[in-house]
Amino acid sequence: MENKSNNKIIIEVKNLTKSFNETMVLNDINFKLFEGESLAVIGASGSGKSVLLKNIIGLLSPDKGSIKINNVAMVGLKRSVKEKILLDLGITFQHGALFDSLQNWENIVFKVRNKEKLSNKDAKELAFSIIKRLGLNSDILDLYPSEISGGMQKRVAIARAICGNPKVLLFDEPTSGLDPVTGSLIDKLIKSAVKTVGGSAITITHDMASVCRIADKVILIDKQTISWSGTPKEMLKSDNAKIKDFIKSTNPKLFI
Amino acid sequence: MNLIKSIFKICGAIGQKFFKFLSNIGHFFIFFITAIFWIFRPPWYFKKIFYQIIDIGYFSLPVVGLTTFFSGMVLALQTYNGFSELNNETTVARVVLTSITRELGPVLTGLMVAGRIGAKMAAEIATMRVTEQIDALGTLGTRPMQYLIAPKIIASLICIPVLVLLGNTIGILGGYIIAIFKLEFNPNIYLYATVEYLQWIDIIQGTVKAAIFGLIISMVSCYFGFNATKGAEGVGYATTASVVISSVMILTSTYIITALFFG
Repeated sequence: MENKSNNKIIIEVKNLTKSFNETMVLNDINFKLFEGESLAVIGASGSGKSVLLKNIIGLLSPDKGSIKINNVAMVGLKRSVKEKILLDLGITFQHGALFDSLQNWENIVFKVRNKEKLSNKDAKELAFSIIKRLGLNSDILDLYPSEISGGMQKRVAIARAICGNPKVLLFDEPTSGLDPVTGSLIDKLIKSAVKTVGGSAITITHDMASVCRIADKVILIDKQTISWSGTPKEMLKSDNAKIKDFIKSTNPKLFI
Repeated sequence: MNLIKSIFKICGAIGQKFFKFLSNIGHFFIFFITAIFWIFRPPWYFKKIFYQIIDIGYFSLPVVGLTTFFSGMVLALQTYNGFSELNNETTVARVVLTSITRELGPVLTGLMVAGRIGAKMAAEIATMRVTEQIDALGTLGTRPMQYLIAPKIIASLICIPVLVLLGNTIGILGGYIIAIFKLEFNPNIYLYATVEYLQWIDIIQGTVKAAIFGLIISMVSCYFGFNATKGAEGVGYATTASVVISSVMILTSTYIITALFFG
């Protein structure tokens, strides 16, 4: 599955293998993410999708294999260099991982404020300009994460990830726990975030509608490895039993 | 044959525990060295250090003050009752002063702060760990050791010696109040005896102890919080372990320091 435009490779995962104690979670994972491409990673719960993401951002070390971001090998890289590379990435975690001792606006501009000096007023304005795009209003800016709903927290986490217009976005289940309308809004935002800055994205999701909206390319992780890959159109026509199950279980028309 | 197998099994289990214990000590030592390194490395998060100083120093003062105040009062009463032949101003003042400045002030303050602040530090950091906030920090260009741990250690090193000095003063005041208003001692003689027996070595020793206790409380609490696993259960374990181990280390180290100063 090569990229038709022959763009630059942003992320390259080669022969990645990861086990916890005796349990193998990922085995011989290979894929490439090209510039301007949006990749969706699907798979059952516990199939190792989040583990894959954590390996890419260096929170876990693979047992075998290599990970390159912008042609820099991440495994065994000096921490200070790794941190600089991570600064150019926008990441959301599965459960948001918002800092509960900081107000929402401080969460959103956290990374940008580390890079450049911003007054509170400017930082709040920047945070507001982002949450507006996510369908949130300014009331939540001065609240703490614990004072807003789970769906709002998810959107604040996405706002934190896209603040500063990073060129590579990594989302771990960005639409889980959101109503379908907001989910669709988030999908559009991911798509536009990738297009606007000419960036690339990896999105881990269970939502097949979301996959069709945001992805140029899809990979399925099953039984520790990539068992299927293709475009969303190919996915809808696929004979793969797992893919069929996924589509069937998320398409309400098939139940009627 | 079964008996030999059982013995091997028991020995294996003991050996495994022992090696795990050694491994934990090794991990703690690495954490300790790394934390010390980050204390001295800029940038320093002054706002966070300031908030920690307020939390550890200012908000611990009532509990430390009450504890040392009543300890001073009890000491004066017990000394008076226990030493019936020596129940004069000089003896009571001397016992209260020496006990408070050398042992009770630092140890009680250390234990109170371990209970109040150590538990809070461990629970806060452990919650951040299990909710992936620490992972998120690392991906946002901030080093968790520098941003979370170093301010807590710096603030503990500043605040606990100050708390001990204040606690000592309040404890001595507690003893004075009992001596004057209940035991009806002469206030001038009691005060004179207190000042006369006050020695620099006692104040220095108390302050050194306090600084070491500050280091113990912050390091142990941050270590258990930082390495928490298994969700809510892990947060509970980190909190309990930090208080228990800090308290045991405070009581052990107070003996070692006393032995070094006066041994």
